Amino acid sequence: MNGVGVIFWREMRGYFTSPYAYLIAAAFLLLAGFFFVSNLWLSVEQTPADPAAIPEFLSFGMIFFAPLLTMRMLAEETREGTMELLLTAPVSDSAIIIGKFLSAWGFYTILLGITASYQIILVNIGAFPDLGKAVAAYIGIWLYGGACLSVGLVYSALTDSQIVAGFLSMATLFLLYLGDNIGLIVADVELARLLRTLTLQGHFSTSFAVGIFRAEDVVFFAGLITAMLFIAIRIVESRRWR
Amino acid sequence: MIEVKELTKRYGNKTAVDRISFSAGAGEILGILGPNGAGKTSTMRMLTGFMPPTDGSATLDGFDIVADSMEVRRRVGYMPERVPLYPDMTVEEYVRFWAKLRGVRRPQKSIEAVLDRVQLLDRRRSLVRSLSKGLKQRLGLAQTLVHNPKVIILDEPTIGIDPQQVIEVRAAVRDLAHNHTVLFSTHILSEAEQVCDRVIILNQGRIVAEGTPAELRQKLYPGDSVFVQIGGVGHAKPEKTLRGINGVKQVQKLAGGYALEAVAGRDIRADVVKRIQQAGWTLLELRPVAVTLEDIFLKIVSREDAEEQAE
Ligand SMILES: Nc1ncnc2c1ncn2[C@@H]1O[C@H](COP(=O)(O)OP(=O)(O)O)[C@@H](O)[C@H]1O
Ligand SMILES: [Mg+2]
Repeated sequence: MNGVGVIFWREMRGYFTSPYAYLIAAAFLLLAGFFFVSNLWLSVEQTPADPAAIPEFLSFGMIFFAPLLTMRMLAEETREGTMELLLTAPVSDSAIIIGKFLSAWGFYTILLGITASYQIILVNIGAFPDLGKAVAAYIGIWLYGGACLSVGLVYSALTDSQIVAGFLSMATLFLLYLGDNIGLIVADVELARLLRTLTLQGHFSTSFAVGIFRAEDVVFFAGLITAMLFIAIRIVESRRWR
Repeated sequence: MIEVKELTKRYGNKTAVDRISFSAGAGEILGILGPNGAGKTSTMRMLTGFMPPTDGSATLDGFDIVADSMEVRRRVGYMPERVPLYPDMTVEEYVRFWAKLRGVRRPQKSIEAVLDRVQLLDRRRSLVRSLSKGLKQRLGLAQTLVHNPKVIILDEPTIGIDPQQVIEVRAAVRDLAHNHTVLFSTHILSEAEQVCDRVIILNQGRIVAEGTPAELRQKLYPGDSVFVQIGGVGHAKPEKTLRGINGVKQVQKLAGGYALEAVAGRDIRADVVKRIQQAGWTLLELRPVAVTLEDIFLKIVSREDAEEQAE
């Protein structure tokens, strides 16, 4: 699509030239390293080491990291007035949203890729990770993170304040993360199960994270991303009618 | 190049632009003149494809602004009222981004040419945030020109910059007319007079007058006015005497003298001199008064208000 690449590269450049993005990346890698090491300590007595330690941490961590990576993407364009120029450039509204989303997802992919390299340490110390589990967990958290980023993008489209966008997306992601806990207090088992299938955890903690690759989980995350991008595009379009 | 027919924009039940029609030929600088809230920005936003009209239609270079929006956008350079910038980019990156987004192939040459044109070539590696207000304005203009658009739409480009830069921007706009059609909005009447080939006067969403600055002056102020300063009047009141001169339509007391408006096509100067001498006064100064668009505008608006009250 016309313009997706141009938008993608501008945002990517933005990440790599902004001290703020480096700060987020540093926190991300530091915390992932911390969870990796503490898991490694555990594995001294309790072998083998768990290759899903980092993805499992990220399933919680992305509640905070995804909003930080996306909150300014559209809010800032609205505030600076550049949105008016973007919307009069010969590119579609979807190209703008998709370009920005892919850029956020791409940056996250790079960070995730760096954490994957930690696993090499396991090989070096002779603690061969369960490869199948590692691959499933990483693919899972990659999709999971994409879904979180798409939620962040929706709120960034909704307001011209990055703080508000960031706060609202954290709240939403928190709800999507903890939603299955509501299942613990409802008496109806069927209802609890349904609630769980609507949450992020329900499609990660008992499948990808333990090395199980299920089509329904892929569909859930892909569907969530598609729906969120669709909503973000609609929000941007509606700006023209205001 | 620009054809606008019955274009209308309503926000809720507020009509911001009310069935306006106008056109602009290739190479023409068309001014949209009007006070704040007249509907200038709304009109421009419809023509640039930012928002669809509520009613009516318009074409740019033969392309419909709604049906062929992408074609229209490719042919338009737009500078919104508040210059939109990315503070964290360098000057060159900023211009390159817009060039690429608008599909310029091998943009380097155009980027350098346009930066040279707005005299920012030596600042190409500076961060946008570090530029002064006037330089930011020029960068905004560079973005408008980089894809060599046929139509350039500038929304009040001289707002909020210092007088020297205002002069530069006006000169730059005049310069554009060689290769582009320019739509230029302003609420400063003398600016429209200086910059534009033709002017549309917009008030409350409607076109209240249209023509070259000279035509508008002709139409609304057919008579020439003269300014006279008189000495030796003592306690006499000269207004009545002056009004009695053949061909004088109206007399207005100004600081230091009187403005006499003549009836259409009449040269009253000789009669004025004669009458003042007859009265035994001394003529200290007599000069023609050029009517400005300010006067025209006041006249139109007050006439409109009077009509409204009559309704
Ligand atoms: N997005 C909007 N929503 C509601 N009313 C608007 C909007 N934009 C402009 N208006 C109103 O439309 C009228 C024309 O505004 P505008 O086109 O900005 O005029 P100008 O640029 O000549 O100052 C004003 O009364 C303004 O308040
Ligand atoms: Mg305006």
